[in-house]
Amino acid sequence: MEIKVLFTILIGTIFINNFVLYQMLGLCPFLGVSKKLDSALGMGLAVIFVMTLASFITFLVYKYILVPYDITFLRTISFILVIAALVQLVEMVIDKVSPSLYQALGIFLPLITTNCAVLGVAVLNINSGFLDTDLGLLKSVIQGFGGGVGFTLALLLMAGIRERLELAEISDNLRGLPITFITAGLLALAFLGFAGMKI
Amino acid sequence: MNNIVKPAIILALVAFVSSMVLSHIKKITYPSILKQEKEKQERALAIVLPGYTVGEQKNLTLDGTDFTYWPAEKDESGKMIKGYAFIASSPGYSGQVVSMVGVDDRDTILGMSILQQSETPGLGARSIEVASSSTFFGTIFGNNRGAREETRPWFQLQFTGLNAKNKINIVKKGDWNEALKDELASQNAVSAITGATITSRATIKGIEKAIGLLHTALERETVEAAGKVTNQGGAR
Amino acid sequence: MNYWQEFVKGIWKKNPILILGIGMCPTLAVTTSVSNALWMTMATTMVLVCSNILVSLVKGFVPGHIRIPIFITIIATFVTVVELTLNAFQPAVYKALGIFIPLIVVNCIILGRAEEFASKNSIILSVFDGIGMGLGFGVTLFVLAFVREILGANKLFGLTLIPGMQPSSAMIIAPGAFFTLGLMLWGMNYINSRKKD
Repeated sequence: MEIKVLFTILIGTIFINNFVLYQMLGLCPFLGVSKKLDSALGMGLAVIFVMTLASFITFLVYKYILVPYDITFLRTISFILVIAALVQLVEMVIDKVSPSLYQALGIFLPLITTNCAVLGVAVLNINSGFLDTDLGLLKSVIQGFGGGVGFTLALLLMAGIRERLELAEISDNLRGLPITFITAGLLALAFLGFAGMKI
Repeated sequence: MNNIVKPAIILALVAFVSSMVLSHIKKITYPSILKQEKEKQERALAIVLPGYTVGEQKNLTLDGTDFTYWPAEKDESGKMIKGYAFIASSPGYSGQVVSMVGVDDRDTILGMSILQQSETPGLGARSIEVASSSTFFGTIFGNNRGAREETRPWFQLQFTGLNAKNKINIVKKGDWNEALKDELASQNAVSAITGATITSRATIKGIEKAIGLLHTALERETVEAAGKVTNQGGAR
Repeated sequence: MNYWQEFVKGIWKKNPILILGIGMCPTLAVTTSVSNALWMTMATTMVLVCSNILVSLVKGFVPGHIRIPIFITIIATFVTVVELTLNAFQPAVYKALGIFIPLIVVNCIILGRAEEFASKNSIILSVFDGIGMGLGFGVTLFVLAFVREILGANKLFGLTLIPGMQPSSAMIIAPGAFFTLGLMLWGMNYINSRKKD
């Protein structure tokens, strides 16, 4: 039973409520880093990592610090500071442990602090009512992970399309952002098809 | 060392000052936030149990789920009729759809009001949309006088009179209007919001689950009350 | 003259969304109705102007390498003030905007202006810059919301336009947002390229 619930959350956040294409979170990096496939993959992996970790920590901070002391109004400020510190920490750890991974992901990490998908998932975890349910922590972590995977999926699809768009003959005025948005719109329409999925 | 300690102190100071400011702002805004929530609840209770005197709120945990209900009473020509209001919730398209439902002692729904939802605007969020025949141009040119204004969302209105104990069906007839009333009542059905069947179904699922919980809660209460009576029986 | 320039640049020449391409998330997500767009503009402009003022005030005292965390703290404080105020006095708006109120913190426009403009310029200039940028943000949001509310909900300012007509619901959800903004950017490129000729 619980497995089913967790699976529903995972599939739901990846396909049905895709963070980029349905909830419209994390659009800045979606547009900024989707020009090449390999950089899109690097960004995607970094985001999955940070979102999963951020869900874990912000949930604990909210449940065991903010709620007991009745300071839930500090939610936004504490979450963003936790995320900023987390990103810094991850950056330093990766740099020490694996310089080659740092070279691949390094340039994307500072950008993640202002990726609204990360703060978005932290706030959503609280708003989804996971706080008082059993396995709330696991549910939030799964939502964070699924959100990251969904983001990466959208980013990779977009990057694949944009690499081909570079070669297509389109009107000069449509080049760059306008055609990217229209493509994103078509992708979002396609993803709406998942809404009918029964789990 | 100094270039670690100094920034840390500055950061801590900034964080401290901002928390001070925020807690002050919170102190100012908190009373009106509380007042609003209370008013919202009272308004919802008045909608779902029209004419009833509502008693104390009861919170309990049944089979691992939290359940909240209010017993109520109404004096109808000398006879006291019992009624209950309860909170139903179920996952919709995005997030929980939380509603308050009022039933009488035969499980007929007296009223239903959606308290919280975060469904898609224009689709699922139309569950809280109030039908209005006044139009934009009508408002501008000032010929809205004949327009009929509903005070409550049509989706929620159609639950009134249905039997919660039986299965509530869903039909796809588009927006609800007076003409559909008898047809829907005979099928114990509601008309789904166009393009938001998931939201409509979630609302109904929540009600079905909650009415079961209500009966469990009431049975338990009767058992407990009976236990008390037998215990005190000797003393009396 | 200088003040005027800083003020108007946000509306067209350096429009944060259309030219600089930042602050997309709230732009697309809250433009389901004109009233949401207007409230979002007000909230964002409020935070933007306040944070610009404060950043410009403290610019001499902040050590260079920890300026970003400090700016973020300042912005988050103002966002929470706006959040609490809306929750207390405009509950309907607070519910309609949902998680996009706390997400004002990560709106790149605000951090971008703090870093790029307010930390280098005087307070008065920063105020003008903030209002101008907020206005540019608002104009874009208004146009988007105007198109989407008419096509997607058959409404304007929450009032039905043509009774009985079924609107195109795709316009009110994500695809419509992407299409509308894509076409807007196209139109703007077109106007700019005509100007050059």
